[in-house]
Amino acid sequence: MKQPEIDLTDLSRLGIGETAHITGIHAPDDIRQRLQAMGLRTGREAEVIRCTRLGPMQIRVGSIDLIMRRCDAARVTIAAKK
Amino acid sequence: MKRIAIVGMPNTGKSTFFNRLTGSSSRVGNWPGVTVELLSARTILGSEAVEVVDLPGIYDLHGFSDDEQIVRSFLENNLVDQVVMVLNAAQLDHQLPLALQIHRLGMKPVLLANMIDEADQLGIRIDASALSKSLDCPVILISARNGSGMNEVRETLINRLRSGDTVKPNELKAYLHADDELVAQAETLISRHVSSPSRLVRKMTERIDRVLLHPLYGLPLFFLTMFLVFQAVYTLGAPLQDAVAYLLQSFRDWALAPLASVMPATWYGFLVDGLYDGIGTVASFVPVIILFFFLMAIVEDSGYLARAAYLTDALMARLGLDGRGFVMLLMGFGCNVPALMGTRVMRSRPLRLLSMLVIPFSLCSARLQVFIFIITALFTPRQAPFILFFMYMASFAAAFLTALLFGRRLKSDEPFVLELPPYRTPVLFQVLMRGWHEISHFLRRASTFIVTGVVLVWWLTHYPEGATPGGAGTYASMMGEWLKPVLEPIGISAVMSVVLLFGFVAKEIVIGAIVAMTGLEGAALNGYLATQMDGVQAISFMLFILLYTPCLSTLATQLSESRSWQFTGVSLSWSLGLAWLASFSFYQGARLLGY
Repeated sequence: MKQPEIDLTDLSRLGIGETAHITGIHAPDDIRQRLQAMGLRTGREAEVIRCTRLGPMQIRVGSIDLIMRRCDAARVTIAAKK
Repeated sequence: MKRIAIVGMPNTGKSTFFNRLTGSSSRVGNWPGVTVELLSARTILGSEAVEVVDLPGIYDLHGFSDDEQIVRSFLENNLVDQVVMVLNAAQLDHQLPLALQIHRLGMKPVLLANMIDEADQLGIRIDASALSKSLDCPVILISARNGSGMNEVRETLINRLRSGDTVKPNELKAYLHADDELVAQAETLISRHVSSPSRLVRKMTERIDRVLLHPLYGLPLFFLTMFLVFQAVYTLGAPLQDAVAYLLQSFRDWALAPLASVMPATWYGFLVDGLYDGIGTVASFVPVIILFFFLMAIVEDSGYLARAAYLTDALMARLGLDGRGFVMLLMGFGCNVPALMGTRVMRSRPLRLLSMLVIPFSLCSARLQVFIFIITALFTPRQAPFILFFMYMASFAAAFLTALLFGRRLKSDEPFVLELPPYRTPVLFQVLMRGWHEISHFLRRASTFIVTGVVLVWWLTHYPEGATPGGAGTYASMMGEWLKPVLEPIGISAVMSVVLLFGFVAKEIVIGAIVAMTGLEGAALNGYLATQMDGVQAISFMLFILLYTPCLSTLATQLSESRSWQFTGVSLSWSLGLAWLASFSFYQGARLLGY
């Protein structure tokens, strides 16, 4: 049986309307702690609602919407379905 | 007295609940982390007086921001009889882990699933009694906005307090690691007791955001909104102010003056022309301030401030700040003190210091009073709005310049992640509370700073005996002479420079002092001001007032929040220097151009 192709990448690479499962956060302990407490936990599904070239992204995780900078989104690794 | 502590995440309606429970006034913000002062209030539960403390909203009991530390140290160092946790019923998946953290620490919380009306609309169903059984603590569905469920909350709290256990949190640090386990436990609980649609649809919020967060016109729309708010304060506030001034004047003419006329002339001058008129003029601005806070409360409670953070973050990032810093600047337009305290949500110290360095340049409502007073006296109604707008722009420019200059030394790695709450209709009850809060705040200041300041200025401008009041030979004019070398190059007259000395303590004194000093009012006072300064001097004076330092309370807050004399010193000297330079360049430049 053919496995769906999985691409490991980070949250900042997703476009508007795309979703992916969070696989981890690469950041110092205290920053990881903060991101997790705000809902970015391993296994959760994240969806990009809004992103522009310069400004922050709007990400939906479960019941909450977050805004975060692209550089911070880049710390969140995801498994995106291709 | 028994004590209840309220905990919860930002945006859960914690403050609204606090106000409902205690009837006291506190500020509520629809953006994460605005409610940061430790508010407490007394209320009667059953037959007992109870102290209720509203702790800052936090995402995590063991995070690293000052807010999180404040909550931890409060719980570790204070005896609490009952912990109440407010949760957003529409986000239980996100919030239950924190509830479990608190539960795990042995604090036996009462859990309130707030905003149940909103959750209902979204199609979320919570089985409160089953959840309560699984968790072994009360779970009550409430809506603090409309008050539903509040009776049950009161009864539960009365019963709990009667049982008489105090909460002793176990060693907080011992539980730092169990997080993943708690999250898993939360997920199990949610899947059993909460049913919710697979996708939450907030149609209204999404529709509004499509316009207000538009990549092209989102930002212009935001500035337009803010412009309209400030414009409304000015156009609606002026007639209100006239009305209060008229009332105070009538009281003076019909009651105070005839009664006081039996007193010796000096006493009459002091009490009526000095104190009453001085404080009365300051008081006449209270409606403007209340109006300002009403409008800000509406903007804040609607959820638009978090959008402002989103829209301005790209710009603020270039200045070494973030979107939250911009929102704090906006909050500073009301009063700098709570805005400074609001920076507690920032984890990184350099970022926090930079934000605290920038906030004092926000044109706060006390400075607004001075500007409206001077602008009305010296400029035509057509010019007035533009000059006021110019002052706001100058306020932003000073803040941005400061960030640019100091940002290089205060670099941070703080992640910028912020919750974007759905739009909510502001609750009238909350907005009114806010107005009352401002009146009582003014009365407190009036009875301390402003009275003292006005009395001192009156004395300085009327003594020694025989000197022309407000003129040459008074102590004030002597002090003015000393300050002349510094203040003459920026076009500020000797008499006005004494006013500046007192304005250092609180900006409201400036107006009261001018009135007390001259013994004049209304048109006569405007005429007098016109002899003291022309248009260019007036703008230079206002620029100086805007920048040189907000007030003593702001300075004290900077010191207590930064815990650094060095930082406070740098901030003070920088603002004094910048004020002088800005006024100097403006005044000399305008004169060179022939104005």
